Amino acid sequence: MSWEPLILTFKLALVTTLILLVLSIPLSYWLAYSKARAKPIIQTLVSMPLVLPPTVLGFYFLIAFSPNNALGGWLSETLGIQLVFSFPGLVLASMLYSLPFMVHPILSGFTGIHTSLREAAVLMGKSKFEILLHVLLPNIKPALLTGTVLSFAHTVGEFGVVLMIGGNIPGKTKVASIAIYDEVEALNYGAANFYSLVLFAITFCILLTVYLINGGYLKKFWK
Amino acid sequence: MFRISYLLWVLLLFSQLGCNPSSKSQRLTLAVSSNMQFSIEEIAARFTATTGIECDLVVASSGKLTAQIMEGAPFDVLLSADMKYPQMLFQNGMAPAAPKVYAYGQLVLYSPNANTDPKMEMLLKDSIVHIALANPKTAPYGSAAMEVLEHHAMLDSVRHKLVYGENVSQTNQFMVTGAAQIGFTAKSTVFTPSMANQGNWLALDSNSYTPIAQGIVMVGTKTKEHQKAEAFYNFIFSDESQKILKKYGYSVNE
Repeated sequence: MSWEPLILTFKLALVTTLILLVLSIPLSYWLAYSKARAKPIIQTLVSMPLVLPPTVLGFYFLIAFSPNNALGGWLSETLGIQLVFSFPGLVLASMLYSLPFMVHPILSGFTGIHTSLREAAVLMGKSKFEILLHVLLPNIKPALLTGTVLSFAHTVGEFGVVLMIGGNIPGKTKVASIAIYDEVEALNYGAANFYSLVLFAITFCILLTVYLINGGYLKKFWK
Repeated sequence: MFRISYLLWVLLLFSQLGCNPSSKSQRLTLAVSSNMQFSIEEIAARFTATTGIECDLVVASSGKLTAQIMEGAPFDVLLSADMKYPQMLFQNGMAPAAPKVYAYGQLVLYSPNANTDPKMEMLLKDSIVHIALANPKTAPYGSAAMEVLEHHAMLDSVRHKLVYGENVSQTNQFMVTGAAQIGFTAKSTVFTPSMANQGNWLALDSNSYTPIAQGIVMVGTKTKEHQKAEAFYNFIFSDESQKILKKYGYSVNE
């Protein structure tokens, strides 16, 4: 029983969420306003991790990241990066796995903004980037918060993908969900209970905070 | 009125589903540790041919199967990769008779590269980035692998390379996909086509690790089920089964 798997879990969730947030804003913007023909395809691909079992992702990652194959071999030879059994590999896999949880809320935030708002900004001669930064993003704050928190929570709850490509290395890839599985299998119910309770308590608090903020219950404390 | 009769119908339906044992009566559920995955298929087929009792196989790691049995999983027999878990079930009153050793497992060093012959010294090479073994905490083949590393005084120098499969099957999966360049596994699994065609293996000196005594135990407390379970229990000690086990790389009492 140690705090290491729990800390690793939250580190993984934090890194994954931050990178996802940065990438998902332009992606969602494009999905919301583009008229490209490929849009339905991209939209479908973004949603795929919702329906695919994590084992499918894990299986393909294991094969793709393996140094025996083109991608994994190229990465390890030219860049010296080993993605399988490593923290960066988990981050990459988690990003794909949690992508829809970030993109969907932001996308519906963008599409929910009335077009007159954008049109007014265009008429005032603002550039697309300025509009995004000063008009659109401030208007979808709840969506950004929801996306961030859902991706974070979803990464905390990740299991199948990590089980398949992690290799259960303490401090590197042994996240809390794996540690729980491990302890139950070793019949150490006490340790499993410890990790589970901590995860339960923290994720409960995170989700509760989101609902309180988005529901406007905390307005009287800060405006 | 309609609602009550509807409810009664539903209840009746479920009660019918609940007590319909005829289709299950000639079946036996075997909980099997993953190193036995391939040999057990042949043994179970022979058993069914001899006795007419069909077998359902549940393959997982010994630890997980034991945890499931302790929580009431409907298994009839546990074939574990060690004696610890069967012993624990017996001590907790979940088994009618003490477990017995049915075979001794052997550990091998396996390289998924057809051009390399695996040797212990290779583990120290820089080209070996990951060494796969089963989780020593829950899988007997994993703890045996740790003992071998300790025996060769290599554990500290290769510890950072170790990656842990959930059980022997996942350990093999790490190696067959090339994600790990070498690893420790059960001899009983390297004869399968996907592993035998692709790589080479080295049998490790049996003095370098504690013998992997694999135990069988009957589980459950219903006497009616025990007759079928006992039939299988006896069958695994028959010459026929022991011959199959030997063919798959186990050593047996002769």
